[in-house]
Amino acid sequence: MRKKLGLSAVACAVSLMAATAGMAKDEVKDPDVADAIKTESPIKHVIILIGENRGTDHTFGVYRAKGKHQTITNILSKGIVNADGTPGPNFKLAQQFSVKPQPLYYIGAPRNAKTAYGDRGQMPQPNTNGAPSAQSVSGAPFPPGFPEAANQVDPSPDFGPNTNTILTTGATNLPAKSLDTRVPDAGMLPNGPFVLQGLNISDDDYTGDMTHRFYQAWQQSDCSVANATKANPTGCLNDLFPFVMATFALNDSVTPAVQGNFSQGNEMGFYDAEQEQASTLKTLADRFALSDNFHQSFQGGTGANHFMLGTGDAGFWSDGKGNPVTPPANQIANPNPAKGSTNKYVADNNFSNCSDFSQPGVAAIVGYIESLPYRAEPNCAERHYYMLDNTNPGFFPNGFQAPNPATQSMLPASSVRTIGDALNDRKISWAYFGGGYNDAVALSDEAVAAGTAMTQNSSTAMGAAALADPSHELGVAYCQICNPFQYASSIMGDSAQRKAHMKDTVDLLADIKSNTLPAVSFGKPDGLLDGHPQSSKIDLFEAYVQQVLDTLEANPKLKAETAVFVTWDEAGGYWDSGFIQPIDFFGDGPRIPLLVLSAYTTGGKVSHDYADQVSILKFIERNWKLRPLTDRSRDNLPNPKMRDDQPYVPKNMPALSDLWDMFDFDHAVKQPYLE
Amino acid sequence: MQQGRRLLGVGALWLGAVGLLVARPGLAIDFSADIVGDHTAPTALHVADQAVRIDAPTGYFLTKDGAALFVRPGKQMFTDARKSTPLTQWFVPVDPDSPCAQWQAAAVNAGVAGSDGAWHCERIESAPRSRWRVTPPGQSSRECWIDPSLRFPVRIQMSDGTSLSLENIRPGAQSPELFTIPAGFRRLDPQSLIEHIKRSDVWVEPAASH
Repeated sequence: MRKKLGLSAVACAVSLMAATAGMAKDEVKDPDVADAIKTESPIKHVIILIGENRGTDHTFGVYRAKGKHQTITNILSKGIVNADGTPGPNFKLAQQFSVKPQPLYYIGAPRNAKTAYGDRGQMPQPNTNGAPSAQSVSGAPFPPGFPEAANQVDPSPDFGPNTNTILTTGATNLPAKSLDTRVPDAGMLPNGPFVLQGLNISDDDYTGDMTHRFYQAWQQSDCSVANATKANPTGCLNDLFPFVMATFALNDSVTPAVQGNFSQGNEMGFYDAEQEQASTLKTLADRFALSDNFHQSFQGGTGANHFMLGTGDAGFWSDGKGNPVTPPANQIANPNPAKGSTNKYVADNNFSNCSDFSQPGVAAIVGYIESLPYRAEPNCAERHYYMLDNTNPGFFPNGFQAPNPATQSMLPASSVRTIGDALNDRKISWAYFGGGYNDAVALSDEAVAAGTAMTQNSSTAMGAAALADPSHELGVAYCQICNPFQYASSIMGDSAQRKAHMKDTVDLLADIKSNTLPAVSFGKPDGLLDGHPQSSKIDLFEAYVQQVLDTLEANPKLKAETAVFVTWDEAGGYWDSGFIQPIDFFGDGPRIPLLVLSAYTTGGKVSHDYADQVSILKFIERNWKLRPLTDRSRDNLPNPKMRDDQPYVPKNMPALSDLWDMFDFDHAVKQPYLE
Repeated sequence: MQQGRRLLGVGALWLGAVGLLVARPGLAIDFSADIVGDHTAPTALHVADQAVRIDAPTGYFLTKDGAALFVRPGKQMFTDARKSTPLTQWFVPVDPDSPCAQWQAAAVNAGVAGSDGAWHCERIESAPRSRWRVTPPGQSSRECWIDPSLRFPVRIQMSDGTSLSLENIRPGAQSPELFTIPAGFRRLDPQSLIEHIKRSDVWVEPAASH
């Protein structure tokens, strides 16, 4: 790694000398090349910062819009909870149900098979699951003082001063996989959402995670047109969240404590923004623009949603040259209930051929999509097995292509066109900045040298490399599945492309400081700071965001022409009360927050236009005058025509906003981010 | 030597009498130098009482008797160096007439696969510096030059022709501070970090075979 840095430094110095040799003294070139590219709006740069696993009601459920005449729909506005987080007058709107055993996988449970949980402790209760019990010198939360001098020597900004203190706090002090007694009334909680706030719990505490996978998420949403109303024409009731978590991995005839999934009732937890929880995010919402109708594009987890963010589409198993082939049997999902169980999936795997209705689980979703009162298509190409759940890219972070993706459990090199390809075609600069990337490249180099990259999954091989080379241990915290471009042959299979566009967080901050920020930048923190429940905390992601914003604040010229999009990959299994517009077999899913920070999005506006992560692609494409990525990608969908009487339901479904409505390009306002 | 200061090896006192310039029988003398490579920026090396310190951008490596640690002052921690850099396996004090055992010990302690097998060290030149062709088990040969007065390798040339050399060699006492791990530093176990990351979406387990 250092060898490469040394070489590039020399090469850089040489090229700089050559470049400036014939330049007149007064010809000082503006390093901000993106500034010169013609755009539809005054925005010359976008930075998309992506956290992990937080939903809209989970984060902004108790939030009052600050902008003039602005409204927000959330569990507070609906009366589900009160401003202090206690159950409100309409608490029953959020009640959750269990379902009697069914013969096949379903996503709209029969009404006569559903039973509401009782009022006091009947609903599955919150569980610590795998949240850290105590401080550890080797993993967050660290002991006090541990990283206090990190910034002086370590080049990684991920351990900057903002994160030093909060990386030491938040251990549960409870056993793993136990009732989370930090939650007030845990064990006796009523049937509905509960606030993650009390004497022993806040947004600075690690909490138990929950499963967030494709078939589970569709089932939790409980969608059927039989449930449709004028305000909810797609009939998604969102009322099976704890039930699915409590049953999908539980074989009733075997020891429940061993077989069970420990997510239990964690899905129903939320923060109270009106009581200083997630206060950085609240401040940004107060000062800038928030969407309360922004959604995860894909039902389920991290990999598929990031893939959709980069491509407007789903990945599929291929021969590595773009031709679909059938994946190994151990990759193919079967969510049908096992014999003798309530809802235990037969095979909780990652791929389905959704063009084949006979495949387990497919008919339930496709049947629902085709029953919708608007023209939605499954968008499942023949013989394509789509990646529904987390699967590592076929490339290691250093560009090494896994030679045996089937046995290495890695998605063969993808030919799905990315927004990076489209920007390249127009010579518009872009980069993906992943926390821990430089260390991950070093670990990959070592996995290649050791031969493990030939046979092992990249997580496994890089983990082994970290044990051999602890100086690059942070590389295991780099998120491979969060980088949609790491799947792409066009990027990862080309060393020049990789070098130009695959970067570390340290490069993002350096580019902001040096006025060399690309036109389009994706920023993803490492696994310690991404805000993911259990392995991270929401305030750690806030610290990452603040570090980027503080750096941008110090460059007023760049800030003036930059829009920062702060969003999440998915709701992470957290329950949400919002409307869902299903678009195709893959999603949409529950709401996630979107904050847009720019001089043209000030004043605390709340946008209701229907949008999902592909809307960010649409914004980029409109601003830089690009065409939709392919003829099947979601960015082909029209902008929504919103209804006055039902402001969250487009008249022309399926439709996705390009987010233009969140901006007022006629009025630029200087607004500090957080000062 | 400052009493009570922790040195390489947890709680161990390595340098009982650092600071002597004289070459003791069978021991490398104390010196400092720059490691200069074909493609790398120079980095400092210090040797005292058979212990070696090699500076790195984010910390420093300490080795003795084959064992190696990587110290990161910014994070107030240290780890087993393992295979973090091959420099800790190559630049170790050796017996100029029989260097194989020291190199092998360093490789074994670094966890280099197969390094506990048979090594072959062939002397191909004697003066002014001894020059050896070294063939670790399962690896290609490299050539190493040893300065008999320093009892230390001064040049390594790999089979692909790339090389690393010691330059600006400066015999003399080295500060004991260079070889210490400050009190309060903690040992990091990457396995614990891996276990933590496994709780997130960052780590993806391979599909179970059915």
